[in-house]
Amino acid sequence: MAATIDRDLIMVTAALLPIAILLVEDNRGDVRLIQEMLSKPLAVPYTLEVANSLAAGLERIRRGGIDVLLLDLGLPDSTGVNTFASVHASTPALPIIVLTGFGDQSVALKVMQQGAQDYLIKGQVDGDLIWRTIRYALERQRGRRELILSETRVRHLNESLERRVADRTAELAAANRELETFTYSVSHDLRAPLRQIDGFSRILVEHAGTGLDSKSLHYLRRIQEGTQHMGRLVDDLLGLAQLGRQDVHTRPTPLDGIVKDALTELRPGCADRIIQWTVGKLPTVDCDPGLMKIVFTNLLSNAIKYTRPRELASIEVACVANNGRSTIVIRDNGVGFNMKYADKLFGVFQRLHRADQFEGSGVGLATVQRIIHKHGGEIWAEAEPDHGATFYFTLAQGGDHAAPDPA
Amino acid sequence: MRAGTVEVLLADDNPADAELIMLSLGENLVGRIHHVHDGEEALDFLFCRASYAQRMADAPPRLIVLDIKLPKLSGLEVLQEIKRDPRTRAIPVVLLTSSRLEADVAGGYQLGANSYVQKPVQFDRFRQIVRQLGGYWLAVNEPAPFRAFNGPSR
Repeated sequence: MAATIDRDLIMVTAALLPIAILLVEDNRGDVRLIQEMLSKPLAVPYTLEVANSLAAGLERIRRGGIDVLLLDLGLPDSTGVNTFASVHASTPALPIIVLTGFGDQSVALKVMQQGAQDYLIKGQVDGDLIWRTIRYALERQRGRRELILSETRVRHLNESLERRVADRTAELAAANRELETFTYSVSHDLRAPLRQIDGFSRILVEHAGTGLDSKSLHYLRRIQEGTQHMGRLVDDLLGLAQLGRQDVHTRPTPLDGIVKDALTELRPGCADRIIQWTVGKLPTVDCDPGLMKIVFTNLLSNAIKYTRPRELASIEVACVANNGRSTIVIRDNGVGFNMKYADKLFGVFQRLHRADQFEGSGVGLATVQRIIHKHGGEIWAEAEPDHGATFYFTLAQGGDHAAPDPA
Repeated sequence: MRAGTVEVLLADDNPADAELIMLSLGENLVGRIHHVHDGEEALDFLFCRASYAQRMADAPPRLIVLDIKLPKLSGLEVLQEIKRDPRTRAIPVVLLTSSRLEADVAGGYQLGANSYVQKPVQFDRFRQIVRQLGGYWLAVNEPAPFRAFNGPSR
């Protein structure tokens, strides 16, 4: 087993430049012994330099080019652990193999704890052992260096990635702000001319009195319808733009109350209709009540609008529990839509119905979707032409306070 | 009401809007609404400066209708001057503007606006609101007595 590893190591090290060994040893006999041991077993290319004092050794290390250090701890100018400590402190990356005398194992242990690669006990070393120790030391050192290198690389990558993410986020936020400011100011500035067109066309009708024939009155009515439609577009767009700037202030909110409020607002608009309302028990959830009312008002007014051709309209609001997460369902028996166009449903200014059949700005569902997303929820729909539409939405996970019993 | 005195100072740089406001305020006020086109002119009128140097300073309007988006000095800057000066502080100021920006509404009230009204797009609604404003501030509201314009009494 050990032999196999050795061969691999030899192949690795042999592929490199000669191993530059520095021996710091003042005992000439020991120097000669080590020289012999190193030269013996294999044709591993190496160079050996000898320094006979700590100062000379440090000086040689300082000049660079040493791969591994064989360090005798008992030197004329330093002894014991101190010898190791001063070398290690000056070149922490250099692998150091400590040479100790027999019986100095406690010292050996100490230097190992302080970061020596290995130790050899004089008199118990032979060529194989010294080489194996050197190669292991080098391999460990290389592994450690590569580890540090790749760690550094990963850290740099991470840092640059984080920096880039931060930069892009800031850019995106700035672009969003700009876009919202733009939409907002456009919406505002569009209002004045609209009011003027609407205003003066009305004043013209009043001013002209009976002087206008029915054709002229018809054209003026068209102008007014146009301005009113654009007024709605501007208002809805403004609402959508405001939504982007608005923070969501969530608090536990009973959805029952929200639906009731929305219906109170919508009922006068459909007083001439026969609508069968089915409102089931709804949970209390964490949401922004103002925004949630916009959601229900939009979805319910859509249901009212698209059931208009029905003699008996049926609109249902319910909540189904799905894995402990409430899904709100709003179902109608209206004209529905083709699922082919489902992906256009929530787009701004996207409409699936002709304006002369069902009026609308194409902003409502975009607004609804944005609110739902701001709450961390999802919204989707199912429908079939002429067979009604069902809208489903969820809010953020864990926002439920009292999910209704699964029924 | 003294004939010929200005009842309403209207500051709006948009001539069409100004005309709609004046039309909405009603026939009986025609000639007693003074229309200025920017913030500076509004203050010149109120403090009888520049081209209004000949105006009698003791005849303050009973109502100031300010747009916020005005050239030179914004409606909010004009409002600040009006409410800072004891000679004009008592005149009711209505901000009549397209802006619904929270910063504008909050700023307006902080500076002492007496009312903040957003101009609706629909003219019917617009006319109704402007008429209500005129009716309230000129007919219902008790005007400030003369000495209210000389600062707090001692």
